[in-house]
Amino acid sequence: MANLVNSFSIKARDFAKAGENSLQIQSLLKSIGFEPELIRRISICAYEAEMNAVMHGGDGELLVTVDPKNIVLEVSDDGPGIKDVKLALREGYSTATPEHREMGFGAGMGLPNINKNADSLAIDSSDGRGTRLRIKFKVGDG
Amino acid sequence: MTETSDNTDLVRYVQIDESLCNGCVLCMKACPTKAIRVRKDRVAHIEGVCIDCWECVRVCPMGAIKAITSDTLDLAEKDNIIVSPSTVLYSQFGQDTLPNDVLLGLKRMGFGYIHDQSYTSEIFNLAIELYIKENREKPNAPLPFISPVCPVVVSLITYRFPSLLGHIPPLVTPREIVAREGKGRLAGKHGTKAKDIKVLHITPCPSKMICIKEPVLLEHSYLDVAIGINSIYEELKNNIRDVEDDIVLHHSSGIGLSWGMSGGEISGMELKCLAISGLEETIHYLEKIEMGLLGDIDYIEFRTCTEGCLGGPYTVADKYQAKHNLQKLIHMFGVETRVKYSYVKKLYDRGWFITDKSPGYGKRELPQLTPSEISKGIDRQHSIEEILRLLPRKECGACGCPDCATFAEDVVDGRTSLQSCMFLTLYPDFSKRF
Repeated sequence: MANLVNSFSIKARDFAKAGENSLQIQSLLKSIGFEPELIRRISICAYEAEMNAVMHGGDGELLVTVDPKNIVLEVSDDGPGIKDVKLALREGYSTATPEHREMGFGAGMGLPNINKNADSLAIDSSDGRGTRLRIKFKVGDG
Repeated sequence: MTETSDNTDLVRYVQIDESLCNGCVLCMKACPTKAIRVRKDRVAHIEGVCIDCWECVRVCPMGAIKAITSDTLDLAEKDNIIVSPSTVLYSQFGQDTLPNDVLLGLKRMGFGYIHDQSYTSEIFNLAIELYIKENREKPNAPLPFISPVCPVVVSLITYRFPSLLGHIPPLVTPREIVAREGKGRLAGKHGTKAKDIKVLHITPCPSKMICIKEPVLLEHSYLDVAIGINSIYEELKNNIRDVEDDIVLHHSSGIGLSWGMSGGEISGMELKCLAISGLEETIHYLEKIEMGLLGDIDYIEFRTCTEGCLGGPYTVADKYQAKHNLQKLIHMFGVETRVKYSYVKKLYDRGWFITDKSPGYGKRELPQLTPSEISKGIDRQHSIEEILRLLPRKECGACGCPDCATFAEDVVDGRTSLQSCMFLTLYPDFSKRF
């Protein structure tokens, strides 16, 4: 089965470039011809995950795998990790710094938003060990 | 995007005069939908989807790109014509010319009925507020809502950001309300059948002409014809006189008048709003919305012309001068609305503002892909990336495509050949150096 794997690098604290990877993923999916609503959900997740890594994480990687049944985003960073995953999934819970908030981030909606828009979300993280997200979307009825 | 040659059924309003085109790449580079290519004959061709944004016309140094304008209305029979000018018209004659003077000038030109659009625009301001307050708290409300007023924005969303179509409220724009109500009222009053009455819109913008013929937000446009401000400017100017006249045709406050400029539509709204103008900025913000950003904003007024409709291609006055004129008028007429909330609420509850068509859906809707089509799409993407790795990424446009990525797509789709890349032909080892 045909599949396509694209990898993008994420640089910690590079707010100027943050979001560009998500834009590239968006245009890649448009170019293949996926339906707009699916692309919208994927873009939201890619952006939130990328921003989380830029803000809290460290350098990392965003991997997108496209096959006829699934689109999977894998986002990994070597940052401090998430202390309490359950808490981090709660809307409004945030560990953003005042600096992040000044830039308009840190509303505590990142992970909840991903959870809401993805078909499945797996979080592999613990204190001091970096974070890996595996965000999966079904294509069509797949 | 793979939707190029399938769109030949669409009417083209922008045309390139091959005898004038010198084959430079400026229009191709400016096109936001990447619809233009310069082929072997060294002449620019529109091959993809045109959204009538006019960027190519603006940048063409040869004056080779023109629009087909609708001029089918017989202006000799002026008695049966309702003229409804864009509020931009009021800004074109200097700061001492009042809106009423401009409207009286149109009357002197012999038109039967003159309808001011600024008052309806002021009504529309309240209608948007009502719609948004009613809908923003609903679960999964598509925030921010996006203004339905600029037709280029609506086309841009339809073709490039279709997932945002649901953000456009299903409201009829002021120019269409003026036409609909004008026809209805006259038919009731004089017994003339509404179909005998034609509504002429005087516009700063060619895309209005197009959305009369192919409305995106309505089943049928209530307007019959649109002409550019520039095409009646001289005659109107000669008919504007500084005389006392007790006929009052203009009724709005500064809020309605401000519609011509960026920020005018949202002025006075009790909502969290933004006004964004210019094509590049519009695309940038639509991308942000598509990534789920700006969800804390209620409403965004987008205008693809810089500074709003004042920057439209059919205006005569310099846009910054016109803005200054308009600001003087707004100051003079004040920013306290002259429209009664209870009146608008009654109209709103009657469905007066709601369109009969959901935006953009219909023939432009994209079908869902089957697994085998997705496989093909993935294979195509592999081939595109393979070619991209060979390319210099100079984005020069000498191949006749707007950028290297589009060139790679065109090669894969068989629309051009790798030999068209000047760098690869002149320096076969070029790609190895990077």
